[in-house]
Amino acid sequence: MIEARNLTKRYAGRTAVDAVSFEVGKGEIVGFLGPNGAGKSTTLRMLTCFLSASEGTATVAGYDIYEDSIEVRRRVGYMPENVPLYPDMRVDEYLRFRARIKGLGWRATRFAVGEAMDICSLAEVEKKMISTLSKGYKQRVGLADALVNKPELLILDEPTNGLDPNQIRQSRELIKRLGERHTILISTHILSEVEMTCGRVIIIDRGHIRASDSPQNLIRRLRKPGSVILELKGSVEPAKAKIEGIDGVKEVSVIHERGAWVSFAITTDPLVDVREDLFALVQREKWSIRELASRAASLEDAFVDILQQSPATTPGASEESPALNLEESITAEDLDESALVARDEEGTKSNPVDPAV
Amino acid sequence: MRAFFILFGKELRSFFLSPLAYVVMALFTFLNGWLFISMVKAMQLQVSSRSLIYNLFSSGWFWMGYFILFPLITMRLFAEERKMGTIEGLLTAPVRTAEVVLAKYAATVVVYVVIVAPVFLFFPLFQAVTGEEAAFHTGAVWGSAMGLFLVGLFNVAIGTLASALTTNQLIAAMLTFVFVMLHYFLGFLQNFGMVPGSAWTAGMAYFSTTEHIQSLSEGLIDSRPVIYYLSFSIVLLAFTHLIVESRKWRV
Repeated sequence: MIEARNLTKRYAGRTAVDAVSFEVGKGEIVGFLGPNGAGKSTTLRMLTCFLSASEGTATVAGYDIYEDSIEVRRRVGYMPENVPLYPDMRVDEYLRFRARIKGLGWRATRFAVGEAMDICSLAEVEKKMISTLSKGYKQRVGLADALVNKPELLILDEPTNGLDPNQIRQSRELIKRLGERHTILISTHILSEVEMTCGRVIIIDRGHIRASDSPQNLIRRLRKPGSVILELKGSVEPAKAKIEGIDGVKEVSVIHERGAWVSFAITTDPLVDVREDLFALVQREKWSIRELASRAASLEDAFVDILQQSPATTPGASEESPALNLEESITAEDLDESALVARDEEGTKSNPVDPAV
Repeated sequence: MRAFFILFGKELRSFFLSPLAYVVMALFTFLNGWLFISMVKAMQLQVSSRSLIYNLFSSGWFWMGYFILFPLITMRLFAEERKMGTIEGLLTAPVRTAEVVLAKYAATVVVYVVIVAPVFLFFPLFQAVTGEEAAFHTGAVWGSAMGLFLVGLFNVAIGTLASALTTNQLIAAMLTFVFVMLHYFLGFLQNFGMVPGSAWTAGMAYFSTTEHIQSLSEGLIDSRPVIYYLSFSIVLLAFTHLIVESRKWRV
């Protein structure tokens, strides 16, 4: 459906997208993932013929984006970032206008607008001015606009940006449903969204594609050892020593101590499950436990990992931490929910773990 | 062509559903009504060899109000769409840029005509009320109407171009006003300090809007101003098209 070859966009003195090549097959839902300013929107704008490429080209549904721009635009439903709409129009009126300029006739328009409003649950705001709508409704109007002429390809630029968690979940389900009828390319920086809706992920960073694979494969590829969390009642040192004695355990660290309860992060060799041995140990030692869980790596880990492998370091990355150190820090931090949030906020700043703990 | 009519309708609609068009129309008609009455009074006091129409359209007062019109009706055309980002949705729909430019331009010309047309009702109204014999020819009314239409085509094109140059409506309005006035003054240059009869003066006379209107308001239809305004409007619209397309240049 999309075939991009060496797509490049240069602005004065800055290359926003650098020789990007990728393909999107018919019927796929592909997530276009990357940090802010990675070149996601620019790439989408080139694919939708809003901007032209400085070099390289792409075909959409077999048509060249430069030579056959009108044909491409006929086949693409595009929802730009921040969903620009005419505030002084009513919802139904706006959608009718959009359907008409996308080439639908009078009768087809009436039918298509009704259908699009159904899909996006817009019936109750049909006659409202767009300027009075909430963010969530505006987003849905934008989506209805994109799909009103039943395009083969939907390109959605950050469709869930600025929505509340409940709305994000709803739109996720909507996108999943739309995937049955359309090929979808969706850009976002919300990882859980991609993990749940997309069959394939393209990760782009500073204008380069870093990875393109299914979320599962990206996680599998992650060079990250497995980890288990065990929370037990007892004293730290003897328990730690005994756990370290188990085959396959590489490292044991303490996440936190709360009263008599100690929470351990147990790092194992990749693809080794030590939970059964741990359970046997717990039984033998007659420890009280209140948590024994393995922590699965998420797309987020894969994303962070892939971005850190990028040749040039991001400004936020600390210079003194070598790669090994960073990797350790991911493992340890990921075990702690609050640290996870903190890392999100601080970018890729590392926090090396003291092995003596 | 299909997209042109849809876009044209949408533009017209957004003009006439906003208060701006009505406010401008009311004020413009009021201003010129007043001017018209003053002209009639002035001609009662002092015998004039010229017709009422000639005097009305030669008055500086008329042009002052007239030139403020253009920034007001053209400033939002592209600037607003670019500011709000709706231009992205518009130009990623299967429509040609030329259709977008022409639709916006044509809709604004219609608005312009609707705003200026009431002025031409003054003349038949005046005759109906006073029952006086016509002090002017019908040809003069049509001629000046045509002249104003042509000047309007040109000035709306200036405004359309200015609006495509910036995302700020105020800047678009100021650019329009300055260029519209500059063009108007170009026609006056022949009156200042230049040797009469020189090639320059003759050349500058071609630009003189006042002179064009004056000859038209005497019922004299000269093809030169017609070609002049039409061709310049086309050039200005071609520039607008170029500007809107410039985001797609391969640099």
